[in-house]
Amino acid sequence: MMQTIGRPPAEPFRIHRRALLALSAAGLTGALPHRTQAASPGQVTYAVHISLAASWLDPGQTSGLITPFLLLYALHDALVKPMPGTAYGAGLAESWTASEDGLTYDFVLRSNALFHNGDPVTADDVKFSFERYHGANYADLQGRVASIETPDPRHVRFRLKQPWPDFLTFYGGATGAGWIVPRKHIEAVGEEAFKKAPVGAGPYKFVSFNPGVELVLEAFEQYWQKPPSVKRIVMKVIPDEGTRLAALKSGEVDIAYSVRGELAEELRKTPGLKLEAVAVQGTFAVYFPEQWTPSSPWHDIRIRRAVNFAIDHQGINQALTQGYSHVTGSGVIPDMFEFYWQPPKPEYNPDKARSLLAEAGRPNGFDAGFYYCDSSYSNIGEAVVNNLREVGINVRLRPIERAGFVKAWGEKQYKNLIQIGPGASGNAATRMESLVVKGGQFVYGSYPDIDELFPQQAVELDHAKREAILHRMQQLVYEKALYAPIWQLAFLNGVGPRVGTSSFGRIPGFPYTAPYEDITLKSA
Amino acid sequence: MRQFVLKRFGYSLLSLFLLSVTIFFFVRITGDPATLLTEPGASEADIAAIHHRFGLDRPLVVQYVLFIASLLRGDLGQSFYYQTPVMELYWSRLPNSLLLAAVAMTFSLIIGIPSGIIAAVRVGSVWDSLGKVFGLLGLSLPSFFIGMLMILFFSVYLGWLPSSGSGTALHVIMPAFALGWYFAAAHMRMTRSSMLEVLGSEYIKLARLKGLPQSLVIAKHAFKNALIPVLTLAGINLVLMINVAVIVETVFAWPGIGRLLYEGISFRDFPVVQGIVILGGTMIIGVNLLVDIVYAVIDPRIRLEA
Repeated sequence: MMQTIGRPPAEPFRIHRRALLALSAAGLTGALPHRTQAASPGQVTYAVHISLAASWLDPGQTSGLITPFLLLYALHDALVKPMPGTAYGAGLAESWTASEDGLTYDFVLRSNALFHNGDPVTADDVKFSFERYHGANYADLQGRVASIETPDPRHVRFRLKQPWPDFLTFYGGATGAGWIVPRKHIEAVGEEAFKKAPVGAGPYKFVSFNPGVELVLEAFEQYWQKPPSVKRIVMKVIPDEGTRLAALKSGEVDIAYSVRGELAEELRKTPGLKLEAVAVQGTFAVYFPEQWTPSSPWHDIRIRRAVNFAIDHQGINQALTQGYSHVTGSGVIPDMFEFYWQPPKPEYNPDKARSLLAEAGRPNGFDAGFYYCDSSYSNIGEAVVNNLREVGINVRLRPIERAGFVKAWGEKQYKNLIQIGPGASGNAATRMESLVVKGGQFVYGSYPDIDELFPQQAVELDHAKREAILHRMQQLVYEKALYAPIWQLAFLNGVGPRVGTSSFGRIPGFPYTAPYEDITLKSA
Repeated sequence: MRQFVLKRFGYSLLSLFLLSVTIFFFVRITGDPATLLTEPGASEADIAAIHHRFGLDRPLVVQYVLFIASLLRGDLGQSFYYQTPVMELYWSRLPNSLLLAAVAMTFSLIIGIPSGIIAAVRVGSVWDSLGKVFGLLGLSLPSFFIGMLMILFFSVYLGWLPSSGSGTALHVIMPAFALGWYFAAAHMRMTRSSMLEVLGSEYIKLARLKGLPQSLVIAKHAFKNALIPVLTLAGINLVLMINVAVIVETVFAWPGIGRLLYEGISFRDFPVVQGIVILGGTMIIGVNLLVDIVYAVIDPRIRLEA
């Protein structure tokens, strides 16, 4: 009998009936999208866009970024802090007064304010928190304070060495110095233990923290204002934007931070989800570092004004931020800042831009070199560069990774055009100091008439007079076309169907949900 | 043999030293971490305070000496961003990476080996063509793309699997598949070529001539010999999976070492980047050293040539 040598013949491919039925079922179920529900009742789950750092749990280490306040508003409380409708909302201090000479600030603490461990918040804790603070601006802040007195447990007095009109701006808003931590507890457990398991006076207590992964908080029922209605908060770090949106759509999270561009459009179109935008304190503008160089085309104010008319502010706004960014006309000061002056709204008029260029002797445009920007925002830069090219200002986009960009910008290495986007907390004066006035970190040149006004406002204790000086400075910035404003950036977020009040946008300029005690879930 | 081992060990130590120098200096070329920990416009005093806190105001050589001294004590320093010892961060993430790599490797072997065997046994047929297409797709389709498609289909549309994070068995399925997809293709190709080589050998021909059924020829005689290079590759790939699953871990928010490395790079967290690279390098160098020694034990020609 002959035996087969070599490979046997291949069997014909067959689809069995059961497999066919299974595939069909899968296809049918695939046509019916359904969502897994998110967490347990009484819990709100966040998809956070940035790794949560341990230092953000401790107000004593607050950096100059706005992001640590995402956690500070939950875990801790301050004497005075930005709240809905005001930059100086009453927190742990039920009232405060400033002396007429501007040298003394008196605070009266609430009698019912408690830390999470049950200890009352006292004046001693306020003093301790200030002296312990080593975050942003600590040297300047502590250097201006002559002494802190605690005449009784509910009264604190700060004595300054010299009048400083911006004391509350820095103490209550721009730093963590005014966010109070428990002295006795920290001295008992030690700094390291406190940093791992912080105790604060905020609406939520610390439960657990996996660095860079997840933070769990639970409601503090004895919070002085009111017990939060949401009993548990879970913050999950999901770095990828698409994954954050997917988690929101599938119901795994209730709130997703930072969903931009086409994904924001997708979010808006999804039934049951809401797009909530917050205009933050980041202002974007085109800076002309060569405007003080007579041989440079940017020395001619008509060319700088042409840039302003060439930029399609609203078009870019619609395309990149769904129209939610604020086109204010101010290049460096956000509209929620104290002493903000509202300039005329910018106008998109390419014909006028070309006309100005022609007047300036550049009827055919010119080669403008490079347009430097932080690569995180190169999408804005790309749009602006396209607009400039349309009117004949030929510029090449040069996106630089953020840290390198900021360093070179501060070291005055850039020429031609720079897209700036400052986001530091403060007020109009602090922005002027770093971006407009002579000696500022990012100032390539200055104008004497603006410079001479700055020291005047720094010592002016009368609010109205100070405001008038700062308004005049901003008017001069506008008249001299020192910057070509783009917009005040909107931070776009997604909210799921379980959430009632998200608390987005309630504190002007704050990109995250706060006050946390006001967040609600819809009834089942 | 002793001389061989000592020589190989010496080379390994030299490699580690060069790695430490390279990563230490290269990571500092990337820029100043203080600029990422503050807003633009931060005062020079604030920047200086950060430099002082992290020891960055010292001369580079001093920083390196201190770094090596700590390394020899097993201390990889403190993360700038997390304010936590790097070793603590690493050990907290390592089990997650090991789990992901183990499941991904299982997927890649379950998919890669059988498909490679079928492609080799049915060489030239439609199965072989399908295997080649799979190999091509596996090696060319990026894992993040596969991951995003799976999230869209299985999480958003079907709601069967969680889109991100960890904690349950369901969480590991998609990232493991996305990670293992590339390696499955690599294992398929290796299995196919190894099987073809073995199937063409004389003893297989003899087995067939003896009248053994095809299934027995493949399973008992060919498969085991063909598996050796595949498993060697799999061992090396396992170490790679643990250390370089950056993209998959970021897309799926999987709390592993790859994501920690991504965060370290994003925030210019020098101790984290240095620590992960050195620990990962140690793992890879250690595995290679072990493989060299095992090969030398198995094959005396190798140690004699050395």
